[in-house]
Amino acid sequence: MPLPSFLDEIETRSGVTVSVCYQCCRCTNGCPVAGEMEIVPHRVIGYILSGEREKVLASTSPWKCLQCATCSLRCPNGIDVARVFETLRQISLASGFAAKNDVAHFDDLIIDSVQRHGRFAELETIMRYRLSKGQFMKDAAMGLDMLRKGRIGLSSHNIRGRKELGAIIRRMRGHRDR
Amino acid sequence: MITLSYFPGCSLTSSSSFYDRSLRRVLAFYEVGLRELEDWSCCGAAAAPAMRQELSDVLNARNIAIAEKSGLHLLAPCSACYARTRASALKIAGDRSTRDMVNEALSPMSVKGSLEVRNIIETFLQYVGVEKIAASVAYGIGSMRVVPYYGCLLTRIMGAPSSDDVEDPSGMDVLLDALGAVVVPWQFKTECCGAGSTATDRDRTTRLSGRIMAMAKKAGANAVVTTCPLCQLNLDLTTHARGDLAGIPVLFLTEVFELALFGSTPDSKHHLISMADIEGSVEILGGDSA
Repeated sequence: MPLPSFLDEIETRSGVTVSVCYQCCRCTNGCPVAGEMEIVPHRVIGYILSGEREKVLASTSPWKCLQCATCSLRCPNGIDVARVFETLRQISLASGFAAKNDVAHFDDLIIDSVQRHGRFAELETIMRYRLSKGQFMKDAAMGLDMLRKGRIGLSSHNIRGRKELGAIIRRMRGHRDR
Repeated sequence: MITLSYFPGCSLTSSSSFYDRSLRRVLAFYEVGLRELEDWSCCGAAAAPAMRQELSDVLNARNIAIAEKSGLHLLAPCSACYARTRASALKIAGDRSTRDMVNEALSPMSVKGSLEVRNIIETFLQYVGVEKIAASVAYGIGSMRVVPYYGCLLTRIMGAPSSDDVEDPSGMDVLLDALGAVVVPWQFKTECCGAGSTATDRDRTTRLSGRIMAMAKKAGANAVVTTCPLCQLNLDLTTHARGDLAGIPVLFLTEVFELALFGSTPDSKHHLISMADIEGSVEILGGDSA
């Protein structure tokens, strides 16, 4: 059943006034990945207005967004559409809709790295991702060329304040709103 | 001479460490001092805010707090670091509850959000100046027909004023022109390269970055110039999927500076798409031409 409070949830959490949308489609027209989305950007906004919470959160659209913000830039009503998509990711994570999403999984590994080292350890994070997916040979030729040309950070630097920062990150991840 | 606080970010210490070295060489030439942020941490890029906005603000607040102690303006050459740091600084300065939240989380560190953040284009324009740059050129790079590629995050920080036009930026065009390169007009200055999708969906970055490289070729360019390490890597990686796009190297802006100032760059071997032809075409200018 449609929940009318979905619009409130999005507007409160994102700080973006979505209700001024008049469905002109400029966000969709400028989106470089609209063609990959199950629900294109202006329709996502439309479904938020009509309270179709599950339909939006269960779709892959929020995770296809590149956060390039072309939509936000071009919206004639000043809606920060990219921010709305980012908020949809947060809600979809907190509500369990994104459990098996690759992008969410990779983001999680990046934050893991920052929690442990204070910085993003490239090789370690990519290896962890490939191992978890069982993709042992994926993009191997590309990876070898990158290694050969020194384009993959092999070592991970530990910052001095990693313990303090790690504790903060751990605490904030634990409080993921529900 | 001026000294800036410097936030290299994760990419410039790993996959794009040659960008860090190039940038340091060029800024040292212009006597712009860099003081690297003491014990800086990751900006969280797109991963932190997708998880939780507060996490992104706290990660950035830590670096902002370190930078504010120096009283210097901050240079962040990576587009993600620049955009995230700048957006968080403005939010911390303007929003009491965010300011309280980050200060509580980071205590005893303290942060105001007063920090001025600059990207590398702004740094050249504001602290060196176009006239000085034009006068410092020692090598002819007129055979370079370049398309300036800005990417999305450099000019598009929602809620923050941009120092350049958001749809048709020109800051890099001005610098490349001053250095003596031929700036080729094109439509894809701010198209998205695919950002962080390379690990999770490589076909997608290949398609998006391939489109940009194909347009560069169509425009008649023999080099793409960018300032963002992730854009550079994504465009450079197209060589593994798109044989038809071979031959157009993707240079960092500071590498073009090196060609015009020093005649070569010691780190060209790190390019996946060879820039040997470009390097070979650099000409020594006559002694009296400044």
